Amino acid sequence: MPILDDKTKTEVTKILGTMIKPVTLKLFTQPFECGYCKDTHELLEEIVELNPLLKLEVVQFDQDTDVVAEFGIDKIPAIAVIGDRDYGIRFYGIPAGYEFSSLLSAVLMVSTGVHKLTDQAKKFLDNLAKPVHLQVFVTPTCPYCPPAVIMAHQMAFYSDKVKADMVEVSEFPHIGNKYSVQGVPRTVVNEKWFMEGAAPEQMLIDKIKESL
Amino acid sequence: MFDFNLSMPTNADPNTLYDLIIIGGGPAGLTAGLYAARYKLKTLMLEKAVISGGQLTATEWVENYPGFPEPILGQKLAKDMESQAKQFGLEIINESVIDVDLAGSIKKIVTDYSTWQAKSVLIATGSASRKLGVPGEKENAGRGVSYCATCDGPFYPDKIVAVIGGGNSAFEESIFLAKYASKVVIIHRSDDYRADKIIQDKVMANPKIELMPGYAVQSIEFANSDDKHLVLVEQGTGAEISFPADGVFIFIGHVPNTKLFEEKIELEAGYIVTDRRHFTNVEGVWAAGDVEAKSLRQVATAVGDGACAAFWINKYIEDWTEN
Repeated sequence: MPILDDKTKTEVTKILGTMIKPVTLKLFTQPFECGYCKDTHELLEEIVELNPLLKLEVVQFDQDTDVVAEFGIDKIPAIAVIGDRDYGIRFYGIPAGYEFSSLLSAVLMVSTGVHKLTDQAKKFLDNLAKPVHLQVFVTPTCPYCPPAVIMAHQMAFYSDKVKADMVEVSEFPHIGNKYSVQGVPRTVVNEKWFMEGAAPEQMLIDKIKESL
Repeated sequence: MFDFNLSMPTNADPNTLYDLIIIGGGPAGLTAGLYAARYKLKTLMLEKAVISGGQLTATEWVENYPGFPEPILGQKLAKDMESQAKQFGLEIINESVIDVDLAGSIKKIVTDYSTWQAKSVLIATGSASRKLGVPGEKENAGRGVSYCATCDGPFYPDKIVAVIGGGNSAFEESIFLAKYASKVVIIHRSDDYRADKIIQDKVMANPKIELMPGYAVQSIEFANSDDKHLVLVEQGTGAEISFPADGVFIFIGHVPNTKLFEEKIELEAGYIVTDRRHFTNVEGVWAAGDVEAKSLRQVATAVGDGACAAFWINKYIEDWTEN
């Protein structure tokens, strides 16, 4: 039983048709103690079949510890979206529901190099001296979440200093508790600063400034 | 088992002169987009969210949109409206509009990223319910916190619901809610109600509705489904009480999304003034849906507004000349 129906596959094929450079989806998974690893694996297998520029690489979380450490993966399932290099774009948990759009947006951005950051944001990111870690907490049924995820991933794509994670909170409730996530989207900036909702670019920049 | 809600922007070219630009992708905008695309108007929709559908996407179930005898998921209805419009050629771009120049025969719509141009503009930016701004409100929106009784009232059969507000909406909607709920309690900061006397009398006569004046909501505590309650503060004494409720309906007004159009288009209490054709006072500019000054704001009315506006826009485009 395929995870994507034919109608969705047709739509995805069309969307991926605009890819230019190859993209690798690096999936971190393990066969036990991971509720959504199998489904995420199946989903990615189905997606990469839809465009030859898209590849899947599977990393065993419990065995390939060097790779896990290299990519800084601490929970599974995890997807790193890799282009000609690793931009620090991560998805933790299955990118289903509305987050499916976020995954395809990340793939297209890495493949085409097109993002939507303003000159103002680029200037700010060019001058970043310290690393920035953005964790965007989401649920798959949250329509307001993808803009927050896409914004964070754009910053990671543009700046080597920024790493950005989508975290599907229902799969990692203990992490949700750790950061007191009671509503989504919630963006955690450098562990201790928080932003609620799909806020405009400038608001996220201000929050990052606060955290530095 | 999994849903995949795919909603990706189309590739639009800022050098195109569009026949129509629609600002806002709720039901009014999507319907206008569908009709305009079928009229073969070159149409672009600018939607600030990644997901079209406006307030519909935040509505769990829609029970009063004709044609769906079983409740339909707001997100599904929104997605289907979007797919249908796209199928006929509507282009959708996820950009936030930051400025508009509506004066000339060619309208300019400025976003964070581009300037788009069109012969006509439809404003379908909608309105947002005014929020209380208390803890627990946003987190529980669609999960016990509601801003629409006709939408969500039927989900509370024989339940206790709280209504926040003291105006006509709060009172009128309480009467509606009392058809379903076992008890409706109207909570208001003071005993000075803005609702019309005749509606107040109706409320007083309804055995299911109680008034609870002199309390303000401090927080909404719905996290524990076995102990859903509001924390209320008695005005004057400052004493806190716990008020058990299965749901809370907030009617403290709406905020039209018209900030961009102030000083540019005739507004009435913030809403855009239109005529029967949904024409505004500015040549080549229409408005449809919640953003219009009108009496009923529902998916069903927004859809009608959008269709009607598109009809007149098509006529306008037929005769359009650059001057």
